Amino acid sequence: MGYEDYQCMDENGIREDGRKADEMRPVEIECGVVPVADGSAYIRWGKNEAIAAVYGPMEAHPRKIQRQDRAILDVRYNMAPFSTSDRIRPGFNRRSREISKVTRDALESVVNLELYPRSKIRVEIEIICAEAGTRCCGITAASVALADAGIPMSDMVVSVAAGKCNGIVLMDLNKPEDNYGEADLPMGILPMTDELVFLQMDGDLSMDEFQLAWDYNVKAAHDVHVIMVEALQKRYGGDV
Amino acid sequence: MSEDSTSTEHDSGAVRLVHPGERVGVHEGAEAGHGIRRINGELVAMRMGTLSDNGNTISVDPVSSRYVPRAGDLVIGLVEGMTNNIWFLDIGASFNAILPMSLAPWKVEFGAVREHLNVGEAVLCRVQEVDETHSSVATMKGMGLRKLKSGLLEEIPPHIIPQVIGQGGSMLQTLKDLGDCRLVIGQNGRVWIDGEHGGMHAVRAALKLIRDTAHLPGLKERINALANE
Amino acid sequence: MAIPIIPSLLRDNLAALAEDDQRLDGRARFAGRDLEIEIDCLYNAEGSCRVRMGDTIVFAGVKFQIMTPYPDRPTQGGLMTSAEIRPVCGPGWEPGPPSEESIEMGRVVDRGIRESGCINTTELCILPGEKAWQVILDLFAISDDGNMFDAFALAAIAALRTATVPAERFDVGEDYKLPVAGTPIMCSYQKVGGRFVYDASKREELGGDERIHITLGDEGHVHSLQKGLRGVFTADEFTEIMDTAQSRCAELREIVHKLEESQ
Repeated sequence: MGYEDYQCMDENGIREDGRKADEMRPVEIECGVVPVADGSAYIRWGKNEAIAAVYGPMEAHPRKIQRQDRAILDVRYNMAPFSTSDRIRPGFNRRSREISKVTRDALESVVNLELYPRSKIRVEIEIICAEAGTRCCGITAASVALADAGIPMSDMVVSVAAGKCNGIVLMDLNKPEDNYGEADLPMGILPMTDELVFLQMDGDLSMDEFQLAWDYNVKAAHDVHVIMVEALQKRYGGDV
Repeated sequence: MSEDSTSTEHDSGAVRLVHPGERVGVHEGAEAGHGIRRINGELVAMRMGTLSDNGNTISVDPVSSRYVPRAGDLVIGLVEGMTNNIWFLDIGASFNAILPMSLAPWKVEFGAVREHLNVGEAVLCRVQEVDETHSSVATMKGMGLRKLKSGLLEEIPPHIIPQVIGQGGSMLQTLKDLGDCRLVIGQNGRVWIDGEHGGMHAVRAALKLIRDTAHLPGLKERINALANE
Repeated sequence: MAIPIIPSLLRDNLAALAEDDQRLDGRARFAGRDLEIEIDCLYNAEGSCRVRMGDTIVFAGVKFQIMTPYPDRPTQGGLMTSAEIRPVCGPGWEPGPPSEESIEMGRVVDRGIRESGCINTTELCILPGEKAWQVILDLFAISDDGNMFDAFALAAIAALRTATVPAERFDVGEDYKLPVAGTPIMCSYQKVGGRFVYDASKREELGGDERIHITLGDEGHVHSLQKGLRGVFTADEFTEIMDTAQSRCAELREIVHKLEESQ
């Protein structure tokens, strides 16, 4: 990683998309976008667009995947063929499989699975448009969709990725910063306690840089959490 | 699930919508009810819904829910399959219910289950018992329990059933009068409507209105307005 | 797709409603559900359209790739259609390899477009014998409340007619509008309660029987037909459907043309 010619910031400290180092991309969230699902959410994060739909709890089939003591989450993260500049061929994709798994691990940390033994809850995440940070969008949208479906959880997971480009630690990486930068730190945070349920890191960060990136993620997560709550309240608060 | 059909209309007039993880106060001495947990002394909401405080217990009335069977519930089930001596009923819960031959209203010969109740048919039955994994046994032995041979089925989220029934059954009567229909509300959110087409259509429209706006005050007025149309 | 239980009450009711010239949601026999249609909605696609019919929501994305023409057709590019009906769009759709339903849907929509001749593959030539454009049409379902066929077909033609060939990105010239001659439109009819209705909702689909998909071109010419599921229909029934299809297709064609003008 590292591409010497890319300049992530101009002489005034402004990034290509007009942001400063510690600013987030604009985020919009809407619930109930898949009318036939038990719960759903749409997220637009910068140019990213993701949809998450939740079905369940339902009986877990086949029998062998059932757990006697709790529900399981059946999570699928997928990128639509037209979501990226180069078309993605539909079908099995290792990256998507890995992201599905870490997403499941993150969400299983907050959902009250023990309330629904032998059941499963389906979480379907579809990336409609990709522009860096799609796994974070997916986890965040899934949290809102689970809340929308009335699934009991101890908190909602908010996921965001800070990183480093041209030696500068940046909040919420965009696509060129992610492609040409030196580090990428996606995290999944529980805003009520600042605990972590998801953590990955690629690249090179000193301990100070790591701490700053971590702090950026926590701050961004709190800002996004406000938007998540607003979206849910808008759906259920009506005109009150 | 709250039996109070007007739980969204507190004396103060304010409705508090809570989300999973939201801290709702210490409430010394109060019990953590449905959808609430006490963590480090503080009460925390575990699901999306409206906060309900009856003095002793703080709970959350969910905005969305899947039916959880309880013994004694009157439910409408759909036959999904059968073996030689039991039927499997989809009752809208995480698990199917089992209706054994011994709890059917007919005298059934072993292997002749299909003649009495076939896949796709609907029955009004009662949940006899539920085990700790939410699997249930249903019975059709009881007053009024029968195969539903006419009419239409609608689905409503279980948590708004109290509002569809209303104080003392008032809303239920309004709906029956509105469409001049027979109406049975299953605790699993399935509703059976039987009458003339126009009437059934009117009842379905009223149910949709309740489903979409149950959490907002003024439900009675809206339904009356619909009835007058 | 998981086989759903069809409540027998539903079928009885649909039949009784049909006798009274009524439908479950109060629509007239050949009336469609509320339609929302939006183009240029996918940032990374060269052509795109989102269609909502009732609670059925789908996307069509058009993307381009450079291909080597087949030796026996050196001046021709290609059109490929792929339909994905993923578990996101409904409780009955299961994960796994493409289902029969999604394969049929993709192929039926593809034939409707291909057979109308609206995409002339010779116009996709860049360098004879060496380079040509491959147009890839990706149909993607978000919510299934019935009649995804028509939603896909409408989104597909709207996306194609508003697509831009990305010549600059591939360094083969200037971007230009994809030439699409004609606006084939599909209308689907399903037998519900014993008679054919237009734009069946999911419940009507579940309780209904055979269906027929008709794609008509600009002059009202028939470009493709497909009958699905078990059942029979008469010549009279077919004539009745054809008549109403002509007017509905014309209406939808008008809507697509208005979208193009607004671009």
